[in-house]
Amino acid sequence: MARPIDGGGLEALHRLKSTEPPQWLSPSSELSQAARIASQYLFSSLQPFCPKSPFDSLLVEGFDAEQIWQQIDLQTQPLVSNLKRELKRFEKNPEEILKLLGEELVKKAAKEKTEEVSDKEAEGFEEENGGNDGSEDFEDIGDEELGSLDEEDEEEEEEEEEEEEDEEEEEGGDAGNGGGGIEDQFLKIKELEEFMEKDEEREYGVSKKKQHNDREADDGDEEEEGSDEEEEEEDDDELGGLGVDGFEDEGTDKMEDARYEDFFAHKKKKGPKRRSEPLDGSEDSDSDDRQEDEMFLENQKKENLSTHEKELEKLHSKIQQMEKANLEPKTWTMQGEVTAAKRPKNSALEVDLDFEHNVRPVPVITEEVTASLEDLIKKRILEGHFDDVQRAPSLPSKAPKEHKELDDNKSKKGLAEIYEEEYVQKTELASAPLSTSDEQKKEASLLFKKLCLKLDALSHFHFTPKPVIEDMSVQANVPALAMEEIAPVAVSDAAMLAPEEVFAGNGDIKEETELTQAERKRRRANKKRKFKAKTAKKLAKKARNDTVLKHSHDEEAS
Amino acid sequence: MQSSETSSMEVEKLPPKPKFEPLKAHEISDGRVQFRKVSVPPHRFTPLKKAWMEIYTPIYEQMKIDIRMNLKARKVELKTRSDTPDISNLQKCADFVHAFMLGFEVNDALALLRVDELYVDSFEIKDVKTLRGEHLSRAIGRLSGKGGKTKFTIENATTTRIVIADTKIHILGSFSNIKVARDSLCSLILGSPAGKVYSKLRAVSARLAERF
Repeated sequence: MARPIDGGGLEALHRLKSTEPPQWLSPSSELSQAARIASQYLFSSLQPFCPKSPFDSLLVEGFDAEQIWQQIDLQTQPLVSNLKRELKRFEKNPEEILKLLGEELVKKAAKEKTEEVSDKEAEGFEEENGGNDGSEDFEDIGDEELGSLDEEDEEEEEEEEEEEEDEEEEEGGDAGNGGGGIEDQFLKIKELEEFMEKDEEREYGVSKKKQHNDREADDGDEEEEGSDEEEEEEDDDELGGLGVDGFEDEGTDKMEDARYEDFFAHKKKKGPKRRSEPLDGSEDSDSDDRQEDEMFLENQKKENLSTHEKELEKLHSKIQQMEKANLEPKTWTMQGEVTAAKRPKNSALEVDLDFEHNVRPVPVITEEVTASLEDLIKKRILEGHFDDVQRAPSLPSKAPKEHKELDDNKSKKGLAEIYEEEYVQKTELASAPLSTSDEQKKEASLLFKKLCLKLDALSHFHFTPKPVIEDMSVQANVPALAMEEIAPVAVSDAAMLAPEEVFAGNGDIKEETELTQAERKRRRANKKRKFKAKTAKKLAKKARNDTVLKHSHDEEAS
Repeated sequence: MQSSETSSMEVEKLPPKPKFEPLKAHEISDGRVQFRKVSVPPHRFTPLKKAWMEIYTPIYEQMKIDIRMNLKARKVELKTRSDTPDISNLQKCADFVHAFMLGFEVNDALALLRVDELYVDSFEIKDVKTLRGEHLSRAIGRLSGKGGKTKFTIENATTTRIVIADTKIHILGSFSNIKVARDSLCSLILGSPAGKVYSKLRAVSARLAERF
């Protein structure tokens, strides 16, 4: 069935091709018939490649154009996605192309016709053959490359290729056999390896082994992309040239003549060129597309760099970053004194600030604290241990002054008697001047003597010196002679009191008339001060007494 | 010129130096008797009657002055006797009696007879400050104090005797003591409180006691 249909189909295709475009405008049954037959033929030829096509052949009789189209669509939709997947796979590992090519070499002759036909049909059936074009172009390129390789490459390359093909075949074979029991629908060792290699390429750059393959892949990819940019073509040429230059001569001679500029210099030229061209170049394409392409190109370049160069690049980028940061104004945390207005809102909350606290934190009053305080207070009250301020007792530096008390009773003695006594004191030497306190003292001393006698008797009258008790008494400045000796050995004018005892130098020395104005003022000020202090003291005492009285009255009243 | 004459006279026998005995009381004023008369105010008449013997005895016995009371004239008369030792006795007795008439007691006035340098000083309140009506009464009250204690305080502190007779004040004592007493009384009249006077008296009395 296939053969006659094939022949009919081909005829139909030829007929369709030969018809002129204006004839298409008017509907004709011949053309439609031819078209149906052609489409049927194509459908059946494509059928073995489709994994899940519901129809074995295109049902044409009695069907609408729309219905026929739907059938074709059903077939081509999964086919197209399949092809896209295949494309991506070839992108990633180009060695499979060679494998394909190896197989294809055998089938080359058989498919020549189909290629031609497909090229012709491309104009009429663009939508149908979109996916096919890709694969067939791929095959073309592969053939061309192979051809070029055969012409230009040396034995080494061929050997390498063969080795690679062998390896790839082995790999493919291995892949085909499967990883034993490990693999399942999720884990595929092949994919793992692919990922590993991909990552390694990204990290370290492309290895020497795969350089030309990459180049080929690059060329293929770029051409497949279908972008009409000049740079790619240039790149292709240059890369191709490099490839040519790099491997033209054999042996060490080539290595010695190789220079830095050969490998790396041109890249720097490319840089500015690349940047300038997008600006001048086609404005039809979007800027986004352009940038994406640039990025793609840069990545391509980076993959060609060595490890050292990559590190250098990283360093440079870091340095640039740091220099840029240095030029910019610092963050507000790095600036010295920053007010709230100079920093963004609520920024202080995010930063962990550290500052000194000059005040002790306020104590948190909890129940425990109050309980402890109350316990302390109770304990103190029970003990009677209060922290009252106690006045320090002033030590008496000297004996208390003997004040002559003023007697406000009528004197019992008459004036005559008083003068009589005075006269007697003056003339007679027997009796010492007695003051009122002396009598009491005499009585007391008498009692004490009696007591001491009894105590000494207890200790067998062993001598103990009498303690010196200073007594303060008014000494009359009577001649000492009168006091001490009845019969003086020598007449002595010495008085009982020493001169400093007569007058100590305290009090007013200057006469009233001798004082200067300042001294008068000072005297007055001193007097005022003393008086004020005294009155204040008295008032305080009075207030205290009044309060005490008041309390007592209140208590009595209540 | 005279010296030559005396010398010539001395060459001849000089008469013996005359020896003059001190004059007795009656010989003064050519042997005539001397009198003193002291009038008796009516309020002192009864006290005089009561204390007559106390007055009479020391005057007649020790001072050797005759004394008699003239009832009709209401006067006490004093006369020297032939054996009066000193003419000043009469004056002393007269002062003694006069002091009693002022209001002093006999014991106090007796000091006048014994001690030479005692005097009686009198002044009036109006001499110090012109006070009228209640102010005067209050001043008098201030002077005496409650139950007379202010007066007694002054008396004891200064060894004087004070008599406050309505608006007249009499002080008996030695000259310096009178001065101190007078100052305190004057300050009291002028209005200072008793406490202030006491403090002053305290200081003064200590000083007075040191002296002999």
